Amino acid sequence: MSGGSPSAIRVDRLVKHFRRESSGHQLRTLKSALVERTLVRGLRPDEAIPAIDDISFEVPAGQAVGLIGSNGSGKSTLLKLAAGILRPTSGTIQVDGRVAALIELGAGFHPEISGRENIFINGAVLGLGRRQIEERFDDIVEFSGLASFIDEPVKTYSSGMYVRLGFAVAIHTDPDVLMVDEVLSVGDEAFAHRCLRRIEEMLGRGKTLLLVSHSLELVEEICDRALWLEKGVLRHDGHPRRVIDAYREAIAESEGEAHRRELESREEEEDEDEAEVLRWGSRQAEIVRVRVLVEGEERYHLRTGEEVAFEIEVEVHETLDDFAFGVAVATPRGHEVWGTNTDLAGFKPERLHAGRCVVRLVCPELRLAAGEYLIDIAVHAPDGTPYDYRRKLVALSATAAERGIGVYFPQHRWSFEGGVDWASD
Amino acid sequence: MSRVLRRLLRHRGLLATLVQRELKARYRGSVLGFVWSLVNPLALILVYTFVFSTIFTPRDRLVVDFGPYGLFLATGVIPWIWLQVSWVEGSASLLANAGLIRKAAFPAELLPVVSVLSNLVHLLLALPILILAFAAMALFGVQTSFSWATASLLPLAIVVQLPGVAGVAIGLSALNVHFKDVRDLLANALTLLFFLTPILYTLRTLEPFPWVHAAVAWNPLTPFVTVYQEIVFYGRWPSPELWLLMVAVSLVLWILGTWLFERLSETLVEAV
Repeated sequence: MSGGSPSAIRVDRLVKHFRRESSGHQLRTLKSALVERTLVRGLRPDEAIPAIDDISFEVPAGQAVGLIGSNGSGKSTLLKLAAGILRPTSGTIQVDGRVAALIELGAGFHPEISGRENIFINGAVLGLGRRQIEERFDDIVEFSGLASFIDEPVKTYSSGMYVRLGFAVAIHTDPDVLMVDEVLSVGDEAFAHRCLRRIEEMLGRGKTLLLVSHSLELVEEICDRALWLEKGVLRHDGHPRRVIDAYREAIAESEGEAHRRELESREEEEDEDEAEVLRWGSRQAEIVRVRVLVEGEERYHLRTGEEVAFEIEVEVHETLDDFAFGVAVATPRGHEVWGTNTDLAGFKPERLHAGRCVVRLVCPELRLAAGEYLIDIAVHAPDGTPYDYRRKLVALSATAAERGIGVYFPQHRWSFEGGVDWASD
Repeated sequence: MSRVLRRLLRHRGLLATLVQRELKARYRGSVLGFVWSLVNPLALILVYTFVFSTIFTPRDRLVVDFGPYGLFLATGVIPWIWLQVSWVEGSASLLANAGLIRKAAFPAELLPVVSVLSNLVHLLLALPILILAFAAMALFGVQTSFSWATASLLPLAIVVQLPGVAGVAIGLSALNVHFKDVRDLLANALTLLFFLTPILYTLRTLEPFPWVHAAVAWNPLTPFVTVYQEIVFYGRWPSPELWLLMVAVSLVLWILGTWLFERLSETLVEAV
């Protein structure tokens, strides 16, 4: 770590634009460049894609930072800028100390050459001198677990072996700042664990980590801080749990919307065969609209324990004497979580008048565990004959303050007596 | 000094490793291995000598003042091959190693220089074969004017040319990333330059054609080849003008090439 500086990474008003591939630049010829007398053409606004749009932050030495965001949000671009692979369009990004970028492992492996020789080449690419590699050679081979293949040409390796060797070299460069992009998701489970332990051990020695991952659990587990990027902008910066919760919520919101749109469009197609699976019944009464109100406002994600109301609008075509309304909650894989109807609740039907009616089912505290849920809504006779039965009509997502297993998240409290000690924090 | 040079010097260990990788990978899996570097120039010399002493005989003594024409050809072609292959491979080197520069903070200017240096190794293996061929001629009683004294200038000639050869390769490599027609332009330019350089003929042969003579005399690559003919084939000490010209051309090519690379380098990685 250089010169006692408190920050390992400083990012100041960083901007990175990519050229839109469709702008025709790719087909540009030297001949035309010479004719136009412009060798390096500036980016016109219409052909620039802002991958990183004015981001500033600092990472103190020793901090583990997770970068989260959807695909195309700029996480990997930011990592490549930090690793010095890409150059910023404007602004600065400064990293102190030796950087190991585990972005694509085994950069510079040559397929015709043995694993042994490739270790030396890859190590040199990552900035090690020959003697340093010689010193670490045995550790590298042992870590990779490829001792018996080390003199075979790399082209005979499986992709998992390739990644293992690459990771082994990269991790042995003794970096001050470690930049990891999604590489832990390749390779087998046991090796991924070994890598993770190694990373944690390095964090313990005060190294800095910049981790890009789609695994929010991993970020929550090993990072001290999370940055949420969206469309090249820093949307949230803070404690991993808070950032991840906000991120999950946003995803759930957009996913629920997408699901609703999909259902609506499926309905519009009104292909009887297709729609049959999701909707059946005599249609003497028809469900025309369903809304979910969380804490009084229409939304489709909730935090466990919030008040949720299902509001069902029914168009009754002919007056019915025999009727019940039902709501059921299931997981996307089809496990029923909870269901009820007016018949089970003890309402005795007398008359359902032709025209519109609105049915509301209110759960003052819906204690669903974090996850995705699909809601079925039905109008039927108490004997089960359906008037309008609609499956997976509404998608709902839940977030919880802490993780748990299953679908139910009751209020709970731990208490201990006797010699049970917990670390503070 | 230029940034490119500084980076090359800083990463000289990596440069050496990559040149080794290039050479190893090239000969891996071929039976003769490094022997190919010796066989290729030998075959070249034998074919030229056979063709131009048995099948054709040069029109008159105008073509070559004295000595066997086959060896004259080989003396010019062997260094030309260094330039040509270095530039063709060097210009493609960034695209060929896209994985390396997209995935690691890798000094891209190393790659064209690796092409130049690994081909320089071939040149260094070919030159002794060429000298052996002169010795063999003497054994068979064929008169040559080969001289060990002047031939000892070969390393100096190569050192003087190296910046120019590397500069062109570096510039071309960056151009090739941004402009897809560089490869075709280069192939045509090299063919044209080959005939505009006194490899198949001597400058004196062209004296009856003043325009062509001027074009060849002003071709900046002409001294890059004639210096080999002077010190190996003719056994003469090259004039100070030739040395100065070579130094000047070499430095100008280096400066131009590295300037081009710097200009184009900002967006290099994403364009690869």
